[in-house]
Amino acid sequence: MTRGHWSKLLIALLALPALLLPAASLGYILWRAGPVLDWAFVSSADEGMGFGVASGILPQLTGSLLLAFSACLLAAPVALGCALYYQLCAGTGRRGILLILLQMLQGIPPIVFGLAGLLIFVYLLDWGVSLASGAVVLAGVVLPLLTVNVIDALQRLPTHYSESARSLGLRDGELIMRVWLPMAWPGILTGLLLAMARALSETAPILFTATVFSGAGWPDSIFEPVTTLQTHVFYLAQEAADEQAVATAWGSAAVLVGVVLIFALLAQCLRRMSGSRSD
Amino acid sequence: MNTQINIESRQRTQAASSSLQVRGLSLRLDGRVVLRDVTLQLPATGITTLIGPSGAGKTSLLRCLNGLLEHWQGEVRIAGKDTRQWPGGWDALRRHVGLLGQKPCVFPLSIRANVVFGIQGFWRRRRAAARVEHYLRQAALWDEVAERLQQPAQRLSIGQQQRLCLARALAVKPRMLLLDEPTASLDPTSKHLIERSIGRLANELPVLWVTHDLEQARRLGGQVVFMCEGRIIEQGASEAFFRRPQRLESREFINWQVCDCGGPS
Repeated sequence: MTRGHWSKLLIALLALPALLLPAASLGYILWRAGPVLDWAFVSSADEGMGFGVASGILPQLTGSLLLAFSACLLAAPVALGCALYYQLCAGTGRRGILLILLQMLQGIPPIVFGLAGLLIFVYLLDWGVSLASGAVVLAGVVLPLLTVNVIDALQRLPTHYSESARSLGLRDGELIMRVWLPMAWPGILTGLLLAMARALSETAPILFTATVFSGAGWPDSIFEPVTTLQTHVFYLAQEAADEQAVATAWGSAAVLVGVVLIFALLAQCLRRMSGSRSD
Repeated sequence: MNTQINIESRQRTQAASSSLQVRGLSLRLDGRVVLRDVTLQLPATGITTLIGPSGAGKTSLLRCLNGLLEHWQGEVRIAGKDTRQWPGGWDALRRHVGLLGQKPCVFPLSIRANVVFGIQGFWRRRRAAARVEHYLRQAALWDEVAERLQQPAQRLSIGQQQRLCLARALAVKPRMLLLDEPTASLDPTSKHLIERSIGRLANELPVLWVTHDLEQARRLGGQVVFMCEGRIIEQGASEAFFRRPQRLESREFINWQVCDCGGPS
C-alpha cells in the first residue's frame, strides 16, 4: 500500500463517524417509530382523550409548520432589508460590524430567546402564550441564518450584471427589483428553506411562548396557542413509564425529522441550481 | 484688441460645440493614483480613439465620465453642464453617456427584453418594444435575430451578444458613447460590423473608443488620444498622430516598444 492509499484510508476512517452517526440515528428513530408510524398517525387529530398519547399528530404537525412558516414570513423582509443594506449602502467597516452582530445573534442560546419572548410578548405586551408570540420569537432565532444566506445569494451574483445595469442608468430600486431579486431568488429561497428547517427543529424558544401540550387544534386567531411536534415529543418523552406515550414520541420524532430533512434537501437542490446558474 | 476678442470668441464657440470637456481630472483608487490631471475635449460628433498601454487609466477615465466612478477630483462638463450637478444625479448621467464594455454582458432574458432593459418604467419599456427593430438595425444585428426575438439572449454568439449590448445601450438614447475595447474578443466579421455601426452613429454623437488595436485606431480615423500612467501624453488628428507622433512615448508605443512615461514613483 502506498502512502497515498494510507492517507485516503485515514481520511475515510475520520469521516466515517460523520456518515455513520446520522445514518444510525435516523435508522434508530425509524425503528423505534415503526410500530406507530402509518398514514393514520400523521393524518388524524387528537380526539381530546389521553392528551395526545395514543392519537394522531395532525394538529402538532400543522402547528409546527404554521409556526415555522409564520416565523420565516416575519424574518424574511427584515433579512432581505439587512442583506440589501449590506450590499448597497454599507462600507467595509459597517459590513464587518453587521456580520459580527449576526454571528452574535446566532450564538445566543435559543432558550434565552424563549425567556425574552416570555417577558416581552407573553407578559409585557399581553399577547399570551400564542402563535403570534412564538412566531416573533422564532423569527428572531432564524433571522441571522436567513440574513447570512440572503447576503450569500446576492454576493454569488456575477458583478458584471450589476455593473451593466448601473451603466444603463438603473437606480438602486430598479437594480434590486430587476436584477438582484430575479437572479438571486433560488439562493434566497434556499435560505428560506434552511430557515424553515431550523425553525422546525427549535423547541426552547416556543416552549414558553407558543405551545400547549394538548387541547389546542387549529388556532382561530394568532393570539391562540398551538401544539407542535417539538414540544409534543418533549412532553411525551417525560412519560417514560407509559410505553404508548414513548412509542408516540418516537413516531412524532420520526415525522419531525422527516419534515426537517425534506426542507434541508430542497434547500440543497436549490443551492446547487443557483450555483450552476451563477457560474 | 480685435485679435484678442476673436481668439476668445473662437474658444467659446469651440467649447460650446464640444460635447465633453474634462479639466484636471484626477483619481485615486485604493490609495493608488490612477488618473492625474487629465484634460480632454471631445468634438460634438465623430470618433475619438483612446490608446495607451495596459494600466494607463483608460477604462478608469471612461468610468469617471460615465459616473460609474464618482469620487474623483477635477471637472467634467458635458454640453456645458457640470456632471457633478447633473439634473437627476449620476443615474441620469449614466443614461446620457452610454458605456459598452469589453466583454458582452447580456441578461438571462429574451433578446427583445435585453434591448429594452435599460429603459425606465414598465409602460415605457412596453412601448419601446415597437422600436426594438430600429435599435437592432443600428447595431447591425436585426437580420440575424429578426426571427427569434423571444429566444434567450445567452444563446447568441459572443459577437452577436456584443452587438446586442450596443443595441441595449442605444435604446436608452445616449447623447455620447464610451466604448471600452468593444471588439477586443470578437471575430473579424463582428469587429467589422461593430466598427461600421459605430461609424454611422458617430455622425450624430461623439464617441470615445478605447482600443489596444493600433490598426483599428488608424482605421477609425478622427482624433487620437494617447494615455500613459494616468496622464494624457499626446492628442491630435489620427493621421498626423500615426504619421509623425510628437512625443517620444507616443513614438515608442506606436513602434511596439516598452513605454516609459515617467509615471508616479
